[in-house]
Amino acid sequence: MAPNTQTARESRSVGRSLLLTLPIVVWALLMSSAAYGHANRAQWIASAVTVLFMITLFFMMMRTSSTYRWRRWFFVALGLLFPVGFIHQVMVFRGTMGIPIEEMIAGRTPFCFLPIPLLILPAAFTKTLVFPGSILPNGGMSGGGMAAMAAVWLAVTLVVGKGWCSYACFFGGIEEGMASLPAKAKVRKIDPRWRYGPWAVLLAMVLLSLALFEPAYCMWLCPFKAVSEYVAARNTVGLIQNGIFIALFAGLVIVLPLLTKKRTQCAFFCPFGAFQSIFNKISVFEIKIDKSRCTPCVLCQKSCPTMALTDESIKQGETLMSCMKCGACVDACPKGAAVWHIRGTEVALRPERARLMFLYAAWAMSIMFAGGIIAEGLATILHIFI
Amino acid sequence: MLIPSLLAERPGLHVHARYLSLFLATRLLGYLVFAVVAWELGAMISLQAPTRPLIFAFIHLLLAGVLLRYAYSVGKACNRRIERRELVTIGTAMRHPVSGAAALGFLTGISLCPPFVAAGVRAAETSSLAAAILFFAIFFVGTSVWFVPFTGLGWIRRNEAITTVARMAMALIAFFYLYAGLMTLIGKHLYGA
Repeated sequence: MAPNTQTARESRSVGRSLLLTLPIVVWALLMSSAAYGHANRAQWIASAVTVLFMITLFFMMMRTSSTYRWRRWFFVALGLLFPVGFIHQVMVFRGTMGIPIEEMIAGRTPFCFLPIPLLILPAAFTKTLVFPGSILPNGGMSGGGMAAMAAVWLAVTLVVGKGWCSYACFFGGIEEGMASLPAKAKVRKIDPRWRYGPWAVLLAMVLLSLALFEPAYCMWLCPFKAVSEYVAARNTVGLIQNGIFIALFAGLVIVLPLLTKKRTQCAFFCPFGAFQSIFNKISVFEIKIDKSRCTPCVLCQKSCPTMALTDESIKQGETLMSCMKCGACVDACPKGAAVWHIRGTEVALRPERARLMFLYAAWAMSIMFAGGIIAEGLATILHIFI
Repeated sequence: MLIPSLLAERPGLHVHARYLSLFLATRLLGYLVFAVVAWELGAMISLQAPTRPLIFAFIHLLLAGVLLRYAYSVGKACNRRIERRELVTIGTAMRHPVSGAAALGFLTGISLCPPFVAAGVRAAETSSLAAAILFFAIFFVGTSVWFVPFTGLGWIRRNEAITTVARMAMALIAFFYLYAGLMTLIGKHLYGA
Protein backbone atom coordinates (compact mmCIF):
# COMPACT_ATOMS: atom_id res chain seq x y z
CA MET A 1 0.00 0.00 0.00
CA ALA A 2 1.35 3.43 -0.89
CA PRO A 3 2.08 5.80 2.04
CA ASN A 4 -0.60 8.28 3.14
CA THR A 5 -3.19 6.24 1.37
CA GLN A 6 -6.35 5.86 3.35
CA THR A 7 -8.71 3.33 1.85
CA ALA A 8 -12.15 4.65 1.20
CA ARG A 9 -13.73 2.50 3.91
CA GLU A 10 -11.83 3.39 7.11
CA SER A 11 -13.99 5.24 9.65
CA ARG A 12 -12.94 8.56 11.07
CA SER A 13 -13.18 9.81 14.61
CA VAL A 14 -16.13 11.99 15.56
CA GLY A 15 -13.91 15.00 16.15
CA ARG A 16 -12.16 14.75 12.82
CA SER A 17 -15.48 14.16 11.04
CA LEU A 18 -16.94 17.29 12.67
CA LEU A 19 -13.92 19.31 11.61
CA LEU A 20 -14.28 18.15 8.01
CA THR A 21 -17.99 18.95 8.11
CA LEU A 22 -17.43 22.51 9.32
CA PRO A 23 -17.15 24.14 5.86
CA ILE A 24 -20.42 22.52 4.89
CA VAL A 25 -22.06 23.82 8.08
CA VAL A 26 -20.97 27.37 7.24
CA TRP A 27 -22.12 27.03 3.65
CA ALA A 28 -25.47 25.52 4.59
CA LEU A 29 -26.18 28.27 7.11
CA LEU A 30 -25.23 30.91 4.56
CA MET A 31 -27.52 29.41 1.94
CA SER A 32 -30.46 29.04 4.31
CA SER A 33 -30.19 32.63 5.51
CA ALA A 34 -30.34 33.85 1.92
CA ALA A 35 -33.29 31.63 0.98
CA TYR A 36 -36.23 33.39 2.61
CA GLY A 37 -36.70 37.11 3.08
CA HIS A 38 -39.53 36.96 5.59
CA ALA A 39 -39.96 33.32 6.45
CA ASN A 40 -43.13 32.15 8.10
CA ARG A 41 -43.01 29.51 10.79
CA ALA A 42 -43.36 26.54 8.45
CA GLN A 43 -40.64 27.87 6.17
CA TRP A 44 -38.35 28.54 9.09
CA ILE A 45 -38.78 25.02 10.46
CA ALA A 46 -38.42 23.47 7.00
CA SER A 47 -35.25 25.44 6.36
CA ALA A 48 -33.78 24.41 9.71
CA VAL A 49 -34.66 20.76 9.17
CA THR A 50 -33.12 20.83 5.68
CA VAL A 51 -29.89 22.39 6.92
CA LEU A 52 -29.64 19.84 9.71
CA PHE A 53 -30.44 17.04 7.28
CA MET A 54 -27.73 18.02 4.80
CA ILE A 55 -25.14 18.62 7.50
CA THR A 56 -25.91 15.30 9.18
CA LEU A 57 -25.61 13.39 5.94
CA PHE A 58 -22.28 14.99 5.14
CA PHE A 59 -21.06 14.27 8.66
CA MET A 60 -22.00 10.61 8.21
CA MET A 61 -20.16 10.53 4.89
CA MET A 62 -17.09 11.77 6.71
CA ARG A 63 -17.52 9.51 9.72
CA THR A 64 -18.17 6.27 7.82
CA SER A 65 -16.09 7.08 4.72
CA SER A 66 -18.90 5.76 2.58
CA THR A 67 -20.78 7.95 0.17
CA TYR A 68 -23.59 6.16 -1.64
CA ARG A 69 -26.09 5.34 1.11
CA TRP A 70 -25.96 8.80 2.66
CA ARG A 71 -26.16 10.56 -0.73
CA ARG A 72 -29.12 8.36 -1.52
CA TRP A 73 -31.09 9.69 1.46
CA PHE A 74 -30.62 13.22 0.15
CA PHE A 75 -31.42 12.24 -3.40
CA VAL A 76 -34.62 10.37 -2.55
CA ALA A 77 -35.74 13.26 -0.34
CA LEU A 78 -35.14 15.62 -3.26
CA GLY A 79 -37.03 13.38 -5.67
CA LEU A 80 -40.02 13.07 -3.35
CA LEU A 81 -40.21 16.65 -2.12
CA PHE A 82 -39.68 18.43 -5.44
CA PRO A 83 -43.08 17.34 -6.82
CA VAL A 84 -44.72 18.29 -3.51
CA GLY A 85 -43.45 21.87 -3.62
CA PHE A 86 -43.76 22.27 -7.37
CA ILE A 87 -47.27 20.89 -7.72
CA HIS A 88 -48.36 23.05 -4.80
CA GLN A 89 -46.99 26.15 -6.52
CA VAL A 90 -48.63 25.20 -9.79
CA MET A 91 -51.99 24.67 -8.10
CA VAL A 92 -51.71 28.01 -6.27
CA PHE A 93 -50.87 29.90 -9.47
CA ARG A 94 -53.10 28.11 -11.94
CA GLY A 95 -55.37 25.72 -10.14
CA THR A 96 -54.30 22.91 -12.44
CA MET A 97 -51.18 20.93 -13.34
CA GLY A 98 -52.02 21.36 -17.02
CA ILE A 99 -50.31 24.26 -18.76
CA PRO A 100 -52.82 26.22 -20.81
CA ILE A 101 -51.62 27.11 -24.28
CA GLU A 102 -52.03 30.78 -23.39
CA GLU A 103 -49.34 30.44 -20.70
CA MET A 104 -47.00 28.80 -23.18
CA ILE A 105 -47.55 31.56 -25.74
CA ALA A 106 -46.88 34.18 -23.05
CA GLY A 107 -43.55 32.48 -22.27
CA ARG A 108 -44.49 31.52 -18.72
CA THR A 109 -43.63 27.82 -18.92
CA PRO A 110 -41.13 26.94 -16.19
CA PHE A 111 -37.85 25.65 -17.58
CA CYS A 112 -36.09 22.58 -16.26
CA PHE A 113 -32.67 21.34 -17.40
CA LEU A 114 -33.93 18.38 -19.46
CA PRO A 115 -34.52 20.27 -22.73
CA ILE A 116 -31.10 21.96 -22.72
CA PRO A 117 -29.53 19.61 -25.34
CA LEU A 118 -32.58 19.95 -27.59
CA LEU A 119 -32.29 23.71 -27.85
CA ILE A 120 -28.74 23.85 -29.12
CA LEU A 121 -29.12 22.97 -32.81
CA PRO A 122 -32.24 25.05 -33.46
CA ALA A 123 -30.55 27.99 -31.71
CA ALA A 124 -27.40 27.52 -33.76
CA PHE A 125 -29.26 27.41 -37.06
CA THR A 126 -31.97 29.97 -36.43
CA LYS A 127 -30.98 31.96 -33.30
CA THR A 128 -34.28 30.88 -31.78
CA LEU A 129 -34.94 29.09 -28.50
CA VAL A 130 -37.62 26.54 -29.23
CA PHE A 131 -38.95 26.42 -25.68
CA PRO A 132 -42.12 28.31 -24.69
CA GLY A 133 -40.43 30.03 -21.79
CA SER A 134 -38.56 33.23 -21.11
CA ILE A 135 -34.85 33.81 -20.86
CA LEU A 136 -35.41 36.04 -17.82
CA PRO A 137 -38.19 35.72 -15.17
CA ASN A 138 -41.53 36.57 -16.67
CA GLY A 139 -44.00 36.29 -13.83
CA GLY A 140 -46.46 33.48 -13.19
CA MET A 141 -44.75 30.10 -13.23
CA SER A 142 -41.80 31.16 -15.39
CA GLY A 143 -39.56 30.76 -12.37
CA GLY A 144 -36.02 32.09 -12.58
CA GLY A 145 -36.07 31.97 -16.35
CA MET A 146 -34.09 29.84 -18.75
CA ALA A 147 -30.88 31.78 -18.20
CA ALA A 148 -30.83 31.01 -14.48
CA MET A 149 -31.29 27.27 -14.95
CA ALA A 150 -28.75 27.16 -17.77
CA ALA A 151 -26.22 29.01 -15.61
CA VAL A 152 -26.71 26.64 -12.67
CA TRP A 153 -26.48 23.64 -14.96
CA LEU A 154 -23.27 24.87 -16.58
CA ALA A 155 -21.61 25.71 -13.25
CA VAL A 156 -22.45 22.34 -11.71
CA THR A 157 -21.59 20.36 -14.83
CA LEU A 158 -18.19 21.96 -15.40
CA VAL A 159 -17.15 20.89 -11.91
CA VAL A 160 -18.79 17.52 -11.36
CA GLY A 161 -19.62 16.37 -14.90
CA LYS A 162 -22.33 13.75 -14.85
CA GLY A 163 -22.36 14.02 -11.07
CA TRP A 164 -25.33 16.28 -11.79
CA CYS A 165 -27.37 13.10 -12.13
CA SER A 166 -26.51 12.08 -8.57
CA TYR A 167 -26.38 15.42 -6.76
CA ALA A 168 -28.68 17.88 -8.53
CA CYS A 169 -31.32 16.19 -10.68
CA PHE A 170 -34.60 16.62 -8.89
CA PHE A 171 -36.22 13.76 -10.82
CA GLY A 172 -33.81 10.87 -10.33
CA GLY A 173 -34.50 10.43 -6.63
CA ILE A 174 -37.89 8.86 -7.23
CA GLU A 175 -36.54 5.91 -9.15
CA GLU A 176 -33.50 5.65 -6.90
CA GLY A 177 -35.90 5.30 -4.00
CA MET A 178 -37.89 2.67 -5.88
CA ALA A 179 -34.73 0.78 -6.76
CA SER A 180 -33.63 0.64 -3.15
CA LEU A 181 -36.91 -0.81 -1.82
CA PRO A 182 -36.58 -4.50 -2.77
CA ALA A 183 -33.98 -6.61 -1.03
CA LYS A 184 -33.11 -8.44 -4.26
CA ALA A 185 -33.63 -7.80 -7.93
CA LYS A 186 -36.27 -9.96 -9.57
CA VAL A 187 -34.82 -9.28 -13.02
CA ARG A 188 -31.06 -9.74 -12.95
CA LYS A 189 -30.13 -10.21 -16.58
CA ILE A 190 -30.42 -7.03 -18.55
CA ASP A 191 -29.23 -6.85 -22.14
CA PRO A 192 -26.29 -4.42 -21.99
CA ARG A 193 -27.35 -2.87 -25.29
CA TRP A 194 -30.14 -1.06 -23.44
CA ARG A 195 -27.39 1.22 -22.10
CA TYR A 196 -27.34 2.86 -25.52
CA GLY A 197 -30.99 3.86 -25.16
CA PRO A 198 -30.31 7.37 -23.82
CA TRP A 199 -28.10 8.15 -26.81
CA ALA A 200 -30.77 6.96 -29.21
CA VAL A 201 -33.40 9.05 -27.46
CA LEU A 202 -31.02 12.04 -27.52
CA LEU A 203 -30.33 11.65 -31.24
CA ALA A 204 -33.99 11.19 -32.14
CA MET A 205 -35.19 14.05 -29.92
CA VAL A 206 -32.50 16.46 -31.17
CA LEU A 207 -33.43 15.72 -34.78
CA LEU A 208 -37.16 15.96 -34.11
CA SER A 209 -36.70 19.20 -32.17
CA LEU A 210 -34.82 20.65 -35.13
CA ALA A 211 -37.46 19.43 -37.59
CA LEU A 212 -40.53 20.39 -35.60
CA PHE A 213 -39.19 23.48 -33.83
CA GLU A 214 -40.33 22.33 -30.44
CA PRO A 215 -38.66 20.63 -27.45
CA ALA A 216 -39.73 17.20 -28.65
CA TYR A 217 -38.76 15.34 -25.46
CA CYS A 218 -40.86 17.65 -23.30
CA MET A 219 -43.80 17.41 -25.67
CA TRP A 220 -43.77 13.63 -26.10
CA LEU A 221 -41.49 11.53 -23.94
CA CYS A 222 -40.73 13.09 -20.55
CA PRO A 223 -41.87 10.66 -17.83
CA PHE A 224 -41.65 13.37 -15.19
CA LYS A 225 -44.52 15.31 -16.63
CA ALA A 226 -46.57 12.93 -14.52
CA VAL A 227 -45.26 14.60 -11.35
CA SER A 228 -44.78 18.17 -12.48
CA GLU A 229 -46.84 19.77 -15.19
CA TYR A 230 -47.88 19.00 -18.73
CA VAL A 231 -49.78 20.42 -21.67
CA ALA A 232 -53.46 20.68 -20.79
CA ALA A 233 -55.32 17.73 -22.30
CA ARG A 234 -57.93 19.64 -24.24
CA ASN A 235 -58.03 17.31 -27.22
CA THR A 236 -56.93 13.91 -28.56
CA VAL A 237 -53.30 15.03 -28.90
CA GLY A 238 -53.18 16.15 -25.27
CA LEU A 239 -54.70 12.86 -24.13
CA ILE A 240 -52.13 10.88 -26.11
CA GLN A 241 -49.27 12.97 -24.76
CA ASN A 242 -50.38 12.58 -21.17
CA GLY A 243 -50.97 8.88 -21.68
CA ILE A 244 -47.38 8.49 -22.87
CA PHE A 245 -46.04 10.47 -19.90
CA ILE A 246 -47.94 8.38 -17.38
CA ALA A 247 -47.03 5.09 -19.06
CA LEU A 248 -43.34 5.99 -19.17
CA PHE A 249 -43.36 7.17 -15.57
CA ALA A 250 -45.07 4.02 -14.37
CA GLY A 251 -42.78 1.78 -16.37
CA LEU A 252 -39.38 3.43 -16.20
CA VAL A 253 -39.56 5.17 -12.83
CA ILE A 254 -41.70 2.82 -10.72
CA VAL A 255 -41.98 -0.71 -12.06
CA LEU A 256 -38.61 -1.36 -13.70
CA PRO A 257 -36.55 0.03 -10.80
CA LEU A 258 -38.54 -2.20 -8.44
CA LEU A 259 -37.83 -5.23 -10.61
CA THR A 260 -34.19 -4.56 -11.45
CA LYS A 261 -32.91 -2.41 -8.58
CA LYS A 262 -31.43 -0.14 -11.24
CA ARG A 263 -32.12 3.46 -12.14
CA THR A 264 -33.74 2.37 -15.36
CA GLN A 265 -34.98 5.76 -16.56
CA CYS A 266 -31.54 7.25 -16.09
CA ALA A 267 -29.62 4.29 -17.43
CA PHE A 268 -31.76 3.34 -20.42
CA PHE A 269 -33.77 6.39 -21.46
CA CYS A 270 -32.82 9.86 -20.26
CA PRO A 271 -31.38 11.91 -23.15
CA PHE A 272 -30.10 14.58 -20.79
CA GLY A 273 -28.04 11.92 -19.06
CA ALA A 274 -26.47 10.97 -22.38
CA PHE A 275 -25.67 14.64 -22.98
CA GLN A 276 -24.12 14.91 -19.51
CA SER A 277 -21.95 11.88 -20.24
CA ILE A 278 -20.05 14.01 -22.75
CA PHE A 279 -18.97 16.29 -19.92
CA ASN A 280 -17.56 13.32 -18.02
CA LYS A 281 -14.77 13.34 -20.59
CA ILE A 282 -13.55 16.71 -19.30
CA SER A 283 -14.66 16.50 -15.69
CA VAL A 284 -11.95 16.90 -13.07
CA PHE A 285 -13.35 14.15 -10.88
CA GLU A 286 -13.85 10.55 -11.88
CA ILE A 287 -13.89 7.03 -10.49
CA LYS A 288 -11.07 4.68 -11.38
CA ILE A 289 -10.24 1.05 -10.68
CA ASP A 290 -6.84 0.39 -9.15
CA LYS A 291 -5.84 -2.67 -11.17
CA SER A 292 -3.20 -3.68 -8.63
CA ARG A 293 -5.90 -4.23 -6.03
CA CYS A 294 -8.76 -5.45 -8.20
CA THR A 295 -9.41 -9.24 -7.92
CA PRO A 296 -11.93 -8.89 -9.93
CA CYS A 297 -15.01 -9.84 -7.96
CA VAL A 298 -17.27 -7.55 -10.07
CA LEU A 299 -19.17 -6.44 -6.97
CA CYS A 300 -18.73 -2.91 -8.31
CA GLN A 301 -20.43 -3.93 -11.53
CA LYS A 302 -23.37 -5.45 -9.68
CA SER A 303 -23.77 -2.48 -7.39
CA CYS A 304 -23.76 0.17 -10.13
CA PRO A 305 -27.31 1.51 -10.52
CA THR A 306 -26.72 2.52 -14.14
CA MET A 307 -24.54 -0.34 -15.46
CA ALA A 308 -21.58 2.00 -15.93
CA LEU A 309 -19.05 -0.77 -15.31
CA THR A 310 -18.38 -3.66 -17.67
CA ASP A 311 -15.84 -6.48 -17.57
CA GLU A 312 -13.82 -4.67 -20.20
CA SER A 313 -13.92 -1.31 -18.46
CA ILE A 314 -12.89 -2.90 -15.17
CA LYS A 315 -9.90 -4.48 -16.94
CA GLN A 316 -9.02 -1.05 -18.29
CA GLY A 317 -9.33 0.41 -14.82
CA GLU A 318 -12.15 2.83 -15.48
CA THR A 319 -15.87 3.33 -15.58
CA LEU A 320 -17.89 4.03 -18.71
CA MET A 321 -18.63 7.65 -19.56
CA SER A 322 -22.15 7.16 -18.23
CA CYS A 323 -20.84 7.03 -14.64
CA MET A 324 -22.89 9.28 -12.39
CA LYS A 325 -20.33 9.44 -9.60
CA CYS A 326 -22.82 8.17 -7.03
CA GLY A 327 -20.12 6.22 -5.18
CA ALA A 328 -21.93 2.88 -5.09
CA CYS A 329 -19.03 0.98 -6.65
CA VAL A 330 -16.48 2.57 -4.33
CA ASP A 331 -18.52 1.61 -1.29
CA ALA A 332 -19.15 -1.90 -2.60
CA CYS A 333 -15.52 -2.72 -3.38
CA PRO A 334 -14.07 -4.94 -0.62
CA LYS A 335 -10.46 -4.34 -1.72
CA GLY A 336 -10.55 -0.58 -2.03
CA ALA A 337 -9.78 -0.92 -5.72
CA ALA A 338 -12.60 1.34 -6.90
CA VAL A 339 -11.45 4.80 -5.92
CA TRP A 340 -12.22 8.45 -6.40
CA HIS A 341 -9.71 10.14 -8.64
CA ILE A 342 -8.67 13.58 -9.81
CA ARG A 343 -7.88 13.63 -13.51
CA GLY A 344 -4.18 13.93 -14.24
CA THR A 345 -3.01 12.48 -10.93
CA GLU A 346 -1.82 9.01 -10.09
CA VAL A 347 -4.61 6.49 -9.54
CA ALA A 348 -5.21 5.50 -5.90
CA LEU A 349 -2.44 7.69 -4.52
CA ARG A 350 -4.77 9.76 -2.34
CA PRO A 351 -8.27 8.53 -3.09
CA GLU A 352 -9.80 9.89 0.09
CA ARG A 353 -8.51 13.35 -0.71
CA ALA A 354 -10.03 13.12 -4.17
CA ARG A 355 -13.28 11.98 -2.59
CA LEU A 356 -13.26 14.88 -0.16
CA MET A 357 -12.60 17.45 -2.85
CA PHE A 358 -15.38 16.03 -4.98
CA LEU A 359 -17.84 15.88 -2.09
CA TYR A 360 -17.16 19.43 -0.99
CA ALA A 361 -17.89 20.66 -4.49
CA ALA A 362 -20.88 18.40 -5.10
CA TRP A 363 -22.44 18.83 -1.68
CA ALA A 364 -22.03 22.58 -1.72
CA MET A 365 -23.84 22.68 -5.02
CA SER A 366 -26.50 20.31 -3.78
CA ILE A 367 -27.17 22.57 -0.81
CA MET A 368 -27.31 25.64 -3.01
CA PHE A 369 -29.50 24.18 -5.72
CA ALA A 370 -31.43 21.33 -4.16
CA GLY A 371 -31.56 22.49 -0.56
CA GLY A 372 -34.14 25.13 -1.37
CA ILE A 373 -36.24 22.60 -3.24
CA ILE A 374 -36.24 20.22 -0.28
CA ALA A 375 -37.09 23.04 2.13
CA GLU A 376 -39.91 24.20 -0.11
CA GLY A 377 -41.41 20.73 -0.22
CA LEU A 378 -41.12 20.35 3.54
CA ALA A 379 -42.68 23.77 4.13
CA THR A 380 -45.60 22.79 1.91
CA ILE A 381 -46.25 19.72 4.05
CA LEU A 382 -45.79 21.62 7.30
CA HIS A 383 -48.32 24.25 6.19
CA ILE A 384 -50.96 21.57 6.52
CA PHE A 385 -50.25 21.25 10.22
CA ILE A 386 -49.01 24.71 11.20
CA MET B 1 -34.10 10.06 -40.57
CA LEU B 2 -31.02 10.43 -42.75
CA ILE B 3 -28.51 10.70 -39.91
CA PRO B 4 -29.58 7.51 -38.07
CA SER B 5 -29.76 5.55 -41.31
CA LEU B 6 -26.29 6.73 -42.35
CA LEU B 7 -24.91 5.82 -38.95
CA ALA B 8 -26.37 2.35 -39.36
CA GLU B 9 -24.32 1.77 -42.50
CA ARG B 10 -20.69 0.76 -42.61
CA PRO B 11 -18.08 3.48 -42.20
CA GLY B 12 -16.18 4.93 -45.12
CA LEU B 13 -16.57 7.99 -47.25
CA HIS B 14 -17.15 5.91 -50.39
CA VAL B 15 -19.93 3.93 -48.71
CA HIS B 16 -21.66 7.08 -47.56
CA ALA B 17 -21.19 8.70 -50.94
CA ARG B 18 -22.88 5.68 -52.53
CA TYR B 19 -25.66 5.83 -49.97
CA LEU B 20 -26.29 9.52 -50.54
CA SER B 21 -26.12 9.12 -54.31
CA LEU B 22 -28.77 6.39 -54.19
CA PHE B 23 -30.86 8.33 -51.67
CA LEU B 24 -30.76 11.50 -53.76
CA ALA B 25 -31.33 9.68 -57.04
CA THR B 26 -34.53 8.07 -55.78
CA ARG B 27 -35.48 11.33 -54.11
CA LEU B 28 -35.15 13.01 -57.51
CA LEU B 29 -37.29 10.26 -58.97
CA GLY B 30 -39.90 11.03 -56.33
CA TYR B 31 -39.72 14.74 -57.13
CA LEU B 32 -40.17 14.09 -60.84
CA VAL B 33 -43.06 11.71 -60.28
CA PHE B 34 -44.69 14.42 -58.20
CA ALA B 35 -43.95 17.00 -60.91
CA VAL B 36 -45.71 14.88 -63.52
CA VAL B 37 -48.69 14.21 -61.25
CA ALA B 38 -48.93 17.86 -60.20
CA TRP B 39 -48.87 19.09 -63.76
CA GLU B 40 -51.26 16.43 -65.08
CA LEU B 41 -53.77 16.90 -62.28
CA GLY B 42 -53.43 20.68 -62.20
CA ALA B 43 -51.57 20.59 -58.88
CA MET B 44 -52.71 20.17 -55.31
CA ILE B 45 -55.26 22.97 -55.52
CA SER B 46 -57.40 20.82 -57.72
CA LEU B 47 -57.23 17.84 -55.36
CA GLN B 48 -60.25 17.46 -53.15
CA ALA B 49 -59.55 18.56 -49.56
CA PRO B 50 -60.08 15.09 -48.02
CA THR B 51 -57.69 13.48 -50.53
CA ARG B 52 -54.61 15.48 -49.62
CA PRO B 53 -54.44 14.40 -45.95
CA LEU B 54 -54.90 10.80 -47.01
CA ILE B 55 -51.82 11.05 -49.20
CA PHE B 56 -49.90 12.63 -46.29
CA ALA B 57 -51.04 9.86 -43.98
CA PHE B 58 -50.21 7.07 -46.39
CA ILE B 59 -46.70 8.34 -47.03
CA HIS B 60 -46.03 8.82 -43.31
CA LEU B 61 -47.21 5.30 -42.55
CA LEU B 62 -45.02 3.94 -45.32
CA LEU B 63 -42.05 5.87 -43.96
CA ALA B 64 -42.69 4.44 -40.51
CA GLY B 65 -42.83 0.92 -41.90
CA VAL B 66 -39.67 1.33 -43.96
CA LEU B 67 -37.76 2.80 -41.02
CA LEU B 68 -38.77 -0.03 -38.72
CA ARG B 69 -37.91 -2.62 -41.33
CA TYR B 70 -34.61 -0.85 -42.00
CA ALA B 71 -33.74 -0.90 -38.29
CA TYR B 72 -34.52 -4.61 -38.20
CA SER B 73 -32.48 -5.29 -41.36
CA VAL B 74 -29.44 -3.51 -39.94
CA GLY B 75 -29.52 -5.88 -37.00
CA LYS B 76 -29.74 -8.89 -39.28
CA ALA B 77 -26.90 -7.62 -41.44
CA CYS B 78 -24.71 -7.11 -38.36
CA ASN B 79 -25.60 -10.55 -37.02
CA ARG B 80 -24.56 -12.25 -40.25
CA ARG B 81 -20.97 -11.18 -39.54
CA ILE B 82 -20.03 -11.28 -43.18
CA GLU B 83 -18.20 -8.58 -45.01
CA ARG B 84 -20.94 -6.28 -46.21
CA ARG B 85 -20.10 -4.90 -49.58
CA GLU B 86 -23.55 -3.62 -50.29
CA LEU B 87 -25.68 -1.13 -48.47
CA VAL B 88 -28.28 -2.41 -46.05
CA THR B 89 -31.29 -3.78 -47.87
CA ILE B 90 -34.79 -4.15 -46.55
CA GLY B 91 -36.78 -7.26 -47.35
CA THR B 92 -33.79 -9.53 -47.64
CA ALA B 93 -36.01 -12.58 -48.10
CA MET B 94 -37.29 -11.21 -51.42
CA ARG B 95 -35.63 -12.04 -54.70
CA HIS B 96 -34.81 -8.43 -55.38
CA PRO B 97 -34.35 -6.75 -52.05
CA VAL B 98 -34.67 -3.00 -52.01
CA SER B 99 -31.91 -0.83 -50.71
CA GLY B 100 -32.96 1.08 -47.59
CA ALA B 101 -31.39 4.22 -49.02
CA ALA B 102 -33.50 3.94 -52.17
CA ALA B 103 -36.73 3.36 -50.28
CA LEU B 104 -36.16 6.26 -47.92
CA GLY B 105 -35.03 8.54 -50.74
CA PHE B 106 -38.13 7.88 -52.82
CA LEU B 107 -40.51 8.24 -49.89
CA THR B 108 -38.96 11.54 -48.80
CA GLY B 109 -39.13 12.63 -52.42
CA ILE B 110 -42.88 12.23 -52.58
CA SER B 111 -43.49 13.31 -48.98
CA LEU B 112 -45.77 16.32 -49.11
CA CYS B 113 -44.23 18.91 -46.82
CA PRO B 114 -45.68 22.45 -47.18
CA PRO B 115 -42.79 23.89 -49.26
CA PHE B 116 -43.15 20.90 -51.52
CA VAL B 117 -46.85 21.48 -51.99
CA ALA B 118 -46.17 25.14 -52.72
CA ALA B 119 -43.62 24.07 -55.32
CA GLY B 120 -46.22 21.70 -56.74
CA VAL B 121 -48.65 24.56 -57.20
CA ARG B 122 -45.94 26.57 -58.90
CA ALA B 123 -45.09 23.64 -61.20
CA ALA B 124 -48.72 23.16 -62.14
CA GLU B 125 -48.83 26.74 -63.37
CA THR B 126 -46.04 26.17 -65.88
CA SER B 127 -46.87 25.99 -69.52
CA SER B 128 -45.70 22.46 -70.22
CA LEU B 129 -44.83 19.16 -68.59
CA ALA B 130 -41.16 19.66 -69.48
CA ALA B 131 -41.17 23.02 -67.70
CA ALA B 132 -42.72 21.44 -64.61
CA ILE B 133 -40.10 18.69 -64.59
CA LEU B 134 -37.31 21.23 -65.07
CA PHE B 135 -38.69 23.32 -62.21
CA PHE B 136 -38.65 20.37 -59.86
CA ALA B 137 -35.21 19.29 -61.00
CA ILE B 138 -33.85 22.69 -60.06
CA PHE B 139 -35.84 22.59 -56.80
CA PHE B 140 -34.16 19.26 -56.15
CA VAL B 141 -30.66 20.64 -56.79
CA GLY B 142 -31.34 23.53 -54.43
CA THR B 143 -32.44 21.25 -51.59
CA SER B 144 -29.87 18.50 -52.21
CA VAL B 145 -26.85 20.71 -51.73
CA TRP B 146 -27.51 20.53 -47.98
CA PHE B 147 -27.10 16.75 -47.98
CA VAL B 148 -23.52 16.73 -49.22
CA PRO B 149 -21.88 17.38 -45.81
CA PHE B 150 -23.55 14.25 -44.43
CA THR B 151 -20.97 12.24 -46.35
CA GLY B 152 -18.63 13.21 -43.52
CA LEU B 153 -20.46 10.79 -41.23
CA GLY B 154 -18.45 8.12 -43.01
CA TRP B 155 -15.45 9.18 -40.94
CA ILE B 156 -17.11 8.08 -37.72
CA ARG B 157 -15.95 4.65 -36.63
CA ARG B 158 -18.67 2.07 -36.29
CA ASN B 159 -19.09 -0.25 -33.38
CA GLU B 160 -21.96 -1.94 -31.60
CA ALA B 161 -22.80 1.27 -29.72
CA ILE B 162 -23.16 3.44 -32.83
CA THR B 163 -25.16 0.84 -34.73
CA THR B 164 -27.48 0.15 -31.80
CA VAL B 165 -28.06 3.86 -31.20
CA ALA B 166 -28.81 4.35 -34.88
CA ARG B 167 -31.30 1.48 -34.92
CA MET B 168 -33.06 2.66 -31.78
CA ALA B 169 -33.23 6.24 -33.08
CA MET B 170 -34.71 4.99 -36.36
CA ALA B 171 -37.35 3.10 -34.41
CA LEU B 172 -38.21 6.19 -32.34
CA ILE B 173 -38.52 8.38 -35.42
CA ALA B 174 -40.59 5.66 -37.08
CA PHE B 175 -43.02 5.76 -34.15
CA PHE B 176 -43.35 9.49 -34.64
CA TYR B 177 -44.19 8.99 -38.32
CA LEU B 178 -46.62 6.24 -37.33
CA TYR B 179 -48.33 8.62 -34.93
CA ALA B 180 -48.42 11.40 -37.56
CA GLY B 181 -49.85 9.05 -40.18
CA LEU B 182 -52.53 7.60 -37.91
CA MET B 183 -53.58 10.97 -36.56
CA THR B 184 -53.83 12.40 -40.08
CA LEU B 185 -55.80 9.34 -41.17
CA ILE B 186 -58.42 9.83 -38.48
CA GLY B 187 -58.60 13.52 -39.20
CA LYS B 188 -57.02 14.80 -36.01
CA HIS B 189 -54.48 17.56 -35.44
CA LEU B 190 -50.90 16.47 -34.86
CA TYR B 191 -50.03 19.16 -32.34
CA GLY B 192 -51.33 21.14 -29.42
CA ALA B 193 -54.65 22.66 -28.48
